[in-house]
Order: sequence, then structure tokens, then C-alpha cells
Amino acid sequence: MTTTTKPDAAQLPTKSIDILQTQPSLFFANLQPILLLGTLLFSFRSLVANPVTTLLGLAPTTAIVQTIYCVVCLPSTDDTAPPATKPGQKKKPQKQGQDVWAKVIPVFLSFTLTAVLSAPLLYIIVILFGAPLTTHHLRTLLLALHLALLTTPHLYYAHGLDAPAWLRIASLQSPVDEVYGMSLGACVGAWLGAIPIPLDWDREWQKWPVTVVVGMYVGAAVGNNTRLS
Amino acid sequence: MDATNFITLVRRNTAQQPGLSHTLATLLAVLLVLLILVLLLVAGLLFMRQRRRARQHILLPLYDEKRASTSSTSSHRRVMVRPSESIYVYQGKPGHVASSSSPPSPSSELPEIRITFPEEYDASGKRQSGRVVVVRVGDTSIGLEPVGEDLPAYGDGERFQSLDLDRIAAQQQQMEDGEPESSAGEELKAQDQRASVQFKAQHALVVAFFLLLLTFHALAIYLFCSGFLLSRLVLPNRSQCDVPPIELQQDYTPGSIDTGCWHPKSFDKAVVILVDALRYDFTVPFQPRPGDEHPHHFHNALPVLYETSVEQPNNAFLRPFIADPPTTTLQRLKGLTTGTLPTFIDAGSNFAGTAIDEDNLVEQLYKAGKKVVQIGDDTWHSLFPGYFEPNLTRPFDSFNVWDLHTVDNGVNEHLFPLFEADMRGRWDVVVGHYLGVDHAGHRYGPDHPAMQEKLRQMDGVIRRMVEKLDESTLLVVMGDHGMDVKGDHGGESDDEVEAALWMYSKRPVFGSRDADSVRPPLTAKERAVGQIDLVPTLAFLLGLPVPFNNLGQPIAEAFLGMRTDYGNLAEVSRLTAAQIHRYQGQYAKARKLDDSATSTTSLLWQEANTVSEALRTTTRKSSTSESRQVANAFNAYQTENLRICRGLWARFDLVSMSMGIAALTGTFAILAIYAHGIGADRATITPLLLGWGVAGTAAGAVVGAAVGALPSLSLLQLSTFGAAMGGIGATLVGLWPARKILKVPVPRTFWGGLCFLVTGLLCVGFASNSFTIWEDEQLLFILTTFGVLMLGSSLGRASRADRVLGAANSVSFLAATRLSSLSRLCREEQMPNCRSTYYASATSSTSAGWQLIIPVLVFAVLPSAIAAFFGRTRNYQGIGVVWVGYAMRVGLALVALFWVLDAADDNGWITSVSEASLKTSRVLIAQVVLALAFAGGYSIFVLASPLLDVKHEAAQTIDSPPSTSSEPLQTDEPIFTPLNTAPDKPKPKLIIYGYANAHGTRYLLLPCAWLLALQLLQKPMGQGTLALCLVSLLNTLEILDALDQRHSALGPILFALMGNYYFFKTGHQAALATIQWEAAFIPLKAVTYPWSPLFVILNTFGAQILCAIAVPAISVWKVPPKQPGLLGRIAGGMATHLLFYAAVALATVVEAAWLRRHLMLYRVFMPRMLVGIVVLLLVEIVGALVALVGVRWSVGSVYEVFGWPGT
Repeated sequence: MTTTTKPDAAQLPTKSIDILQTQPSLFFANLQPILLLGTLLFSFRSLVANPVTTLLGLAPTTAIVQTIYCVVCLPSTDDTAPPATKPGQKKKPQKQGQDVWAKVIPVFLSFTLTAVLSAPLLYIIVILFGAPLTTHHLRTLLLALHLALLTTPHLYYAHGLDAPAWLRIASLQSPVDEVYGMSLGACVGAWLGAIPIPLDWDREWQKWPVTVVVGMYVGAAVGNNTRLS
Repeated sequence: MDATNFITLVRRNTAQQPGLSHTLATLLAVLLVLLILVLLLVAGLLFMRQRRRARQHILLPLYDEKRASTSSTSSHRRVMVRPSESIYVYQGKPGHVASSSSPPSPSSELPEIRITFPEEYDASGKRQSGRVVVVRVGDTSIGLEPVGEDLPAYGDGERFQSLDLDRIAAQQQQMEDGEPESSAGEELKAQDQRASVQFKAQHALVVAFFLLLLTFHALAIYLFCSGFLLSRLVLPNRSQCDVPPIELQQDYTPGSIDTGCWHPKSFDKAVVILVDALRYDFTVPFQPRPGDEHPHHFHNALPVLYETSVEQPNNAFLRPFIADPPTTTLQRLKGLTTGTLPTFIDAGSNFAGTAIDEDNLVEQLYKAGKKVVQIGDDTWHSLFPGYFEPNLTRPFDSFNVWDLHTVDNGVNEHLFPLFEADMRGRWDVVVGHYLGVDHAGHRYGPDHPAMQEKLRQMDGVIRRMVEKLDESTLLVVMGDHGMDVKGDHGGESDDEVEAALWMYSKRPVFGSRDADSVRPPLTAKERAVGQIDLVPTLAFLLGLPVPFNNLGQPIAEAFLGMRTDYGNLAEVSRLTAAQIHRYQGQYAKARKLDDSATSTTSLLWQEANTVSEALRTTTRKSSTSESRQVANAFNAYQTENLRICRGLWARFDLVSMSMGIAALTGTFAILAIYAHGIGADRATITPLLLGWGVAGTAAGAVVGAAVGALPSLSLLQLSTFGAAMGGIGATLVGLWPARKILKVPVPRTFWGGLCFLVTGLLCVGFASNSFTIWEDEQLLFILTTFGVLMLGSSLGRASRADRVLGAANSVSFLAATRLSSLSRLCREEQMPNCRSTYYASATSSTSAGWQLIIPVLVFAVLPSAIAAFFGRTRNYQGIGVVWVGYAMRVGLALVALFWVLDAADDNGWITSVSEASLKTSRVLIAQVVLALAFAGGYSIFVLASPLLDVKHEAAQTIDSPPSTSSEPLQTDEPIFTPLNTAPDKPKPKLIIYGYANAHGTRYLLLPCAWLLALQLLQKPMGQGTLALCLVSLLNTLEILDALDQRHSALGPILFALMGNYYFFKTGHQAALATIQWEAAFIPLKAVTYPWSPLFVILNTFGAQILCAIAVPAISVWKVPPKQPGLLGRIAGGMATHLLFYAAVALATVVEAAWLRRHLMLYRVFMPRMLVGIVVLLLVEIVGALVALVGVRWSVGSVYEVFGWPGT
């Protein structure tokens, strides 16, 4: 999936983002997909029955999970390129307490950008894909918000607003690390999630946008554990 | 060898002349023609080969000579130009004086030899561009001199192009001085001449190869359809009340609807209850069988029919009621009312609608002034629109199979009040159609408590009706088909065809043949009647004439009466048989059939008449046994006739279908290999494939015909199959000599894989009725996927220019796609989740007033938009301005005017002008537009020179900076690499505007010409979407350039997807009902053949046609003017484009054959399959005869200017 066209020689490949190799980081990196899928599974019935309120209620949960993921697991923009640790070398002990506060501002910025920039952009894209134009605005908007929450905060957090990095992300030339894998997984999952909608099974869960939401959550969880680079 | 064959054939021909049968003669003629064809082709191939060899022999020395002659005066100059640079500046050739003034070096006396090494990979796998070295020939030694590594490599022939400046300079000089050509010029000219002839010959062979593929597809589709789509001619004749088919024997005056038309009637009124999917074993007591000892849920739940038949045999009878497959409700209703057998296409006058347009019971009732009330399934209303009493009739939606009760309760609610005394006189016939049993079967299957409950409910309903019935009313309860073990139906299995028929009357009027047949049969295998038998039975019982096209026979029980009156039965059988005979006569006349097909039936007919006459002439009262003999004789005639018709009309021919599928698959394989499996120039091996293919087709046809000449086999079918398979096999064999350059046609790039995936998903989706129904939305989804990915990919391009170009066009593509998705025409099955916007309202087929803005907008915007695409590479020049800027604007203005006048006519806006003159002026405008598009557009396209502008600048002063440099400043700048830099001298400048896209813009004139005609034939909404389609096509071309993907499958497949998408967006669906027949009357006042069908085709498949015509533009868009191998690339692109349609056609054909028993076959799968195969053939015709043929002029005219590339 990653090799789109011939990678252009002029662009240097982005380094893949490694999650921090600390104990809580590794623990939470494994816990995150379980949390995401768990909340979705837990609220599936109400999602089918009442998509708007459920998605509205689910959004803060996802945001919090993503926040913790960013803070605990990811190196922030400033230290994207940590001094290359040789395989044999022992890691320097990190000063945990200091870091947390230094990370709050990037996290805050990441989520602001997600809400202000990604969500509207994704809303437009979802509409382009054929989402209803005149009805179900709230559902589509919430779908876009969830998609934004699953795809972009960690990317903002890891890459900042580095234009070349984002261009590579847009053109699928970025290495598929855990961060990018999750975003990609969510997108592919959402794409696949749209497939069952037209079937004439007359099931309640076929209504907009339940399948897409489920698809992207599953996709994000799968993508999070995929690493191809 | 061929010649001797021919002679022997001729001899044999003459020798056998006297005893030659017609078939054999035809066969021989076909054989001769094919042999001649083969000979011609072989001759052509030999000629070509000779030509090529001769050319090689002559050319080589000449070429060297020229080199030698020119090298002494000036070094051979080559200039590297990046194709996307639209202005090409050539600094004039240094004069002879200049070169002679420079100190002569020993090496300059000799031709310089440059060697470009192929690309290499270093140890780490990194690619290194090919190195260039110069061979220096010194006085004493020869050595290699490396050329700076920053020179561009030759290896990547796609981005860089060598331009022979000597040539242009020669032309230039010619233009300036008008001098007679130099000897070098003549050489060039001769060389060009040869290259041009070779190009044209190759081109013709490529076109012929695509026509060969078309032939294979046509043969395959013919084979499949002849097995799948059995057709029957619908006759317009109607039976008349006062015109019996034969002279009446009893003393009865025909013609009175009150006493009975041809025969005294038995009932005034009738209540016909149709219990959908009432299988026969639902109605009879359970019979234990070994292995099936206990009753199921569906057993013994509906006992009323059996009970009454046993208890009061003169008041009721129950018999198995065998349906003619396909067992779908719509087809069954046709059979139950017309008495004919179902076929896929009942080719009649009303091809578009579902309404029955042949003689039937409902229409006969209506014409007789009877009031018919229908309650229940709404299928009746699409079959018989307007025949039912409007205020009592209650239709219910039939497609919500999950709902068991709404329809049934609704029928009960509206049906029972009709039995009340105060409703007497307000109806004559009631048709009640219950759906609950069918829906219970679909939802749960028959063996389920819900089915039992449903059957019990029906039992109660029938008992209530029996109670309320009066003496003069007939009650009929029947099933239209059965259901299989899963509760589904549509096919031909016993469970599906065995329905039940029960008739009941308060008066004892029914009888039976003998004592054994008083009780109803316990299984459906005994004493069954056909469903079409209901038609004459009901007709005689109610005193109507038997519908003209009926094939059924009267049911004995209904006419024997209490005294077993065979005389009565004989008379109705005789009348029915006579009507069948009359129908057969008319049918044979209309179809121009010879007598051989009906020889057995006419024999039986004569026999039956003889028996009948013999009985009549004897004066004594006829005995029972004699009358019985008469009845049996007429029934035998009817049975034999039905057998023949059934063989003729109503059977899937699985052998023929499989043959068609095999041929389609083979052709698909050829296309796939041709498009993606050939690793060299396709155009060069096309002649080989064509030769083999044609020879194979001929040989296959001969073999097939030889085998088919055996008496038991079909000659036509086998020779068709032989031709198709022989041709396909031989074409594949023709690939053998080229096996070294073949590769397995599988996707190897990201885009190729995506195209493959998407096409595959679509094809698989056609096996599901939901995906087929929602195809338009899926295509939007897929196109947007491509758009978003192209946008992302563009953003990843290294060069900023590519990035901006790709991103801007991707955004425009996405916007155009989504905008056009707002134009929708919903098919029935999409309701209620779809809102039509194509017409003024969901129930109208005229455009809304506001939609007239669209043609005006198209007129105002589209030419400017196209001009912008031309202008970006400075190609908006010369004839381009004339066509796009003026002719197209005028044409589109006329189109807008046409539709304004059309709306004015529809809505009566202009009252001062008569309707007739309005129509005349409208038709005139339309014809002018068509003339402009085809006559004007084509003459411009054929005659135009490339859209270039060449300017000369006189020599300037010495301080003008040299524009050539051996070092590129930036990687993406043009690179000039003169090998011998001339000293800076004042030189004249030659500036070529529009250099970069000479091919692309020149070809684009063709789609633009066609667009005008296609626009005229669309409704206003469709004009908007078709214009957006063209814009999207142009966007795609630019994106492909930005992504450098013009050789991948992306472009052709995307164009095919767009073709299908815009088919839906121009107000069509894969359903017969959405064909816009009125398009035939846009440029014509009355139906004129062949033009009217042609206009309907242009209207229906306008989008696919436009996209197919645009396909060659992909391969020539922004390529250098002298690019070699263009023809092969164009052929590859077209083959890829066709591959998509071939995949869809193959998939829909296989799925339609597979799902031939599916409930939705007629509504969903068969129409989609028809669209698939029609589009495939049409796109193949357009692709070969419009697009590929057009390439000859467009590419040719560019080569004429820039020189023909050597091969």
C-alpha cells in the first residue's frame, strides 16, 4: 500500500515515528486499541438506536484516549528526532514529571487543529464521497469529527505543521509507523465501512453512519498494530 | 496452396451443381468469401514485410551518407527539451561561415558518436542515470570521452526528447526563401514519406484488429443471447366479440356480451383471488411418504379448498395448476391474463413500458364495459394501467417481503365490503391479490409457524367469501406459482411451478370426466392443468372472446356440468383451438415462417376438423363418446401446438449460453494480454495477431459449419461458435512468436492495483441486486476515491509545478464529480431513499423551468473552460480558436435556444407562434447543430494543422545572452546540450508556441466536435452533467501528466468509470423504462430509420461515447511531438478502456446466467446485463471507428510538421 508512485528522489523519506520505549508508553500503546474498540462495542446498541447522541457522547472519550496516547506514548514535535539510540546502548532515564507539562501545549494545539482544521476538511471529503448533502448534517459532522479524532491528533503531535511531512502523509509516502498506520487504518476502515450500506438487508445498523464509524474504529485499531516500513 | 484449394472447390462446386442444397450453397459461398479474405490478408502481410525489408536495405546507406555530408559542415545538433515546456525557442543555426571560421579540429572532421549507456543500479540498488560518452576519433587512436554526468540521460525517453534541429531549420529555410530543396531535404522528405506510409498502414491494421475484437464480442454475445433472451413477437390483433374464429356449430348467435360472445356464458360476475405462491400441497391433506412421515407447518392449514371439492363436486373443483417458468409474479400475471408463454423480450410496439400490449382478459373485460376492481399487489397496475375502477381499486407495494400482514389486511379491508348488497352493480370482476403467503415463504421458508398462521388466515378468508357469495358469481382461488424448500421462487423446479387452482360456485355447474376424477388429485403430478388454461376457461365462463394470443385449452370440469356434457366441452375446445389456429396463422405471417415448423400441428388441426365435421353431418344426436372424441382431438392439437411454442419460446439454451460465455472469456483474455501483457510496441505485433485472428475465425467458421451441417445440430450456432473460438484461439497462437516479450497481465503498480481492485469489486457487486440497483452511488464513491488519492499523490510530487497542476485539477475533478451527482433519476427499486432531480418532478418527464439556465451556463462557460486547457500550453491557436472559440460557442448557443423553444412549446409561453412552426424551427435548429458538429467538426479535425504558432525573430545584436547552456540551472528546467557549442553570434530566433501539447490539443478537437452533438441530444440537466464530464476528462488528463501516469491503466479505467457514472447522471438507469425515446424527435419530426434509433443511442450512451473518444488523448497528452511508438500506446490505452467494459459485460452475463432463477432477474440483472453488452459493443465500435481512426489525422498532422519518428 505504501509505495504509491515512484518516490520522488528530491524528497527525503520521513523518519518513522517510534513510540517511546518506556513501560507506561508500551502498556498504553497496547491498551489504546482495546479501549477504543471496547467503548465502541459498549455503546454499539445505542449507536444504532440513536447515532447523534451516542457519537456526541463518544467523542470526548475518544479524545481523552487519544490525548493520553499522545502524552504517554509519543515523542512530541520538538524531539521528533531523538538521538539515535544504537541497538546495544542503554536508554537514558527520562524525566517523566517535567515532560508531562511540556507536552500539554502540543496536545492542546493538536486537538485544536483537529477540531478546526481536520474535522471540516474531512466533513467536506465525506460529503464528496456521497454523504447526504441536504439531510443528516449532524451525523455527517460527527462522523467527520470522529474520523478526525482517530486520524489526525497524533499526526499533528508528532509532525507539527511541517509542510513536507504533511505532503508526504497526503501522498502515502510516509513510512507506515504506528502513528501513520492508525490514521491510514481508520481511513481504509471507513472506506470499507461504507460498503454494506446499500445492501437490502433492512437491518437497523445499516443506517448512516453506523457502519462507517464501526469500520473506522476497527481500522484504527488494526492499523495501530500494523507497522510496515 | 490456397489457390489449389480454391480450384478444387470450384470444381466440386460445378460438379455438384445439380444436387446442391441451399444450405450447402450458402456454406460454400461463405467459405469462398473467407478464403478470399485470408488470401488478401496474407498478401497484405507479405507486402508489408517486403516493404519493411526493402526500406531497411535502401535506408541504411543513405542515412550514413547524409550523416557524412552534414557532419562536415556542422556538427549534428541535438537539443533536449522538456515536453511540458510549452514555448520552445530555437536559436538559429550557425551559418557555414561561422563554423568555417572556427579553428578546425581533427575530430570535427569526423562524425561524432555518442553512446548512451542504459540505466544502471549501483551496489546499494540506487538507480543511476545512464551515462553518456562521446567517441572521439583522433588521427592515431580512437577513445571514449565521458560527457559530464549532469547531462540528461537518454534512457528515460518519456521526459526528454531529441529534436532534430536540422530538419526544422531546413523547413524554416524553405519557408523563408522558397528555394528548391537541397539534396538533404529531399532525403528527409523521402524518409518521411516512407515513415508516413508505414504509420498509416500500421494504423489501419490496428483499427482492423479492434474490429476483429468487436467481431469476437459480437459473436459471443449473439451466442449467449440466443440462448438467454428468447423473443416472441407481440401481435397487435385483438379478438372481437362478434367475430368467432370459426363458424359456430350450435345454433348460437355470436356477438352479445350479455349472453356470451362466442358461447353462452355461465356467470355474470367473478371474484378472482390470487394467493401468491399457493403451492398445491398446501391445499391437499398431508400424504405420508417414506422419509417424510409427519406433516409440516404448511400441511393441513388450508383445508377449505379440498373439503368443498370433495363434499360438493358440482360446486367446486380443485386441480394442480402448473406455471410456466420463470415463476415470478410479473411473468405469471402475464401468462394468467394473456394465455401466452413468457419470454424475455416480447418484442412489440411498447418496448419501453412494462404494460402488456397484447390481447388479454383484463383488456377484454374493460372493452366489454365490465367494471374490474383490483386490490392488492401493485404489479397489476404496471401491467394494466388505467383498466381498473379507480375509486374501488387499492394497490399495495409488493416489494417489502418482510411485511407479512399489511397487504393481506388491506385486501381484506377493501375486498369484503364489495360483497355487500349496496355495492352490487359497482363491479363485475374483482381481482384480489394476497401476498402474505409469498412473503412468509421468502422470509421464513414454508416450514415455519408463521406460514401455518398465514395459511389458516387464508382459510378463514376463503370461508368467509364462500358464505357471502351470490349465485351468479364465480369464485376463483389460485396460486400464481409455488415455492421451493427455502420459500423462494423464480425457477423451474417442481415445487416452484406447482400451484393450485380452485373454482367455486353456489350453483352446481361443474362436472368431472368420470367417477375416478371426482376427487381432487392428492399430488400435483396427476391431472394437472396449465396456468394458461385459465384464460379460455374464464373467457367462456364470463362470455368474453378468447384473447387472440391464447394458447391454453378450456378446463374440462368447468364445462362438463352435472350431466357430463361432452358436447359443450367439444364446442369450447373447438372454438379455442380455432382461435389458436388463427393466431398461429397470423404469427407465421408476421414472422415470415415457413410451413415446416407447423407441419405436425396443421395435420392435427385437419384431423380434429374432420372428426368434428363428421359428427355434425350425422343427423342423429351426437353421442357422448363421439363428442368426447372431438374434444380430445382439439385438445391434442392445442397440446402439440403448446409443445412446439414452448420449445420455441421458453427455454434457456444452456449450451448456447455456455458457448457465449466461453467466447467472451477468451476475448477478455486477448484484451488483457494485448493491453497489459506485451512488453514492446503493440503496433508492431498487431498485424501478426490480426492475420492469425482472421485466419482462425475463417477456419473456425468452416469447421463449425462442417460439424453443424450434421442434421441434429444447429448450423448457425456451431459456425458462430467455431468462428469465435477459432479466431480467439488463433489470436492467442499468434502471440507465440512474441512470447519473449510477453508478461502475465497482472497489476504491478499502486494505480494498476487500485484499478484492478475497483473493477473487480464492481463486477462482484453485480451479483447482488442491491449493488446493481445502487450502482450510481457506488460509482460516485469510487470516482471520489480516485480523486482523493490523485489529490494526495499530486501533493507528493517533487516539482512544485506538478504539485499545483495536479492538486488544482484533482480538486476540480472532485468538485465536478460531486456536483454532477446532484443530477439523479431514481429507479423504482431505489425508492424511497432517492429523490429524482433530473426532471421537473418525480412523475414528469419534462425539465423544470429553472433547468433552462443550465444550457445557457454551458454555453457561457464551457468553451472558455476548454480554451483554458488549450491555453495553458499556448495551444489556443489557429483553428483551435475557430472551433472552440467560435463554432462551439455558436453551436452551444443554438442548443440552448433549442431547449428554450422546447420548453416554450411545452409550457405554452409563446402563444403568437403556432405550435407547428415552433416545431419546424426547433427541428431546423437541431439539424444545423448536428451539421455543425459532424460536417464542420470533422472537416476541421481532418484538415487542421497542429495548434501551434511559429514566430521568427530576426537576428539581434551580439550582446544577447546565449540561451543554450550545457548545464541545467535547476533539475526541472529545459536542458540544452549542444555538443559543439557554436560561438556566440547574432542568430535568428524561431519561437514555437504550443510545442508541449501539440498532439494532445490537436486530438482534443475530435471529442469537442462530438460533444456538441451529444449536448444537443441531452435534456438540459444532462447537458450540465455532460459538460462536467468533459471538464473532468480534461482534469484527468492534466492530473495524469502531473503524476506522470499516462502509461498506466489509471487513465483508461478512470475514463470508463466516468463513462458509466455519467450514464447515470444524464438521466438513465439500467432499466428499460428510463430510455429517453423522445430524443429521437429532437432533430426529426417523425421516426426515420436508421436515424431515430441512432439518436436514442447517442442520448442514452452519450457519456460512454464521449469518454471512449477521449481515450487516445491520454496517451498523447503533453508528449513530445516526435515521440515514437505513440500508436502502440494509444492502442494499449484503448484496449485497457475496453477491458473495463469487457469485464463488466462478462461479469453481468455470467451472473445473469447464474441467477436465471432469481426473483429479480427481469427487474435487475437482465437489464444490467443488456446495458453491459450493448455498451461493450458500442464502445468498441466508437473506440475503433471514431477514436482510433481519428488518431490517424491528429497524430499524422503533428508528425507532418515535426517529422515522422523512425522506427
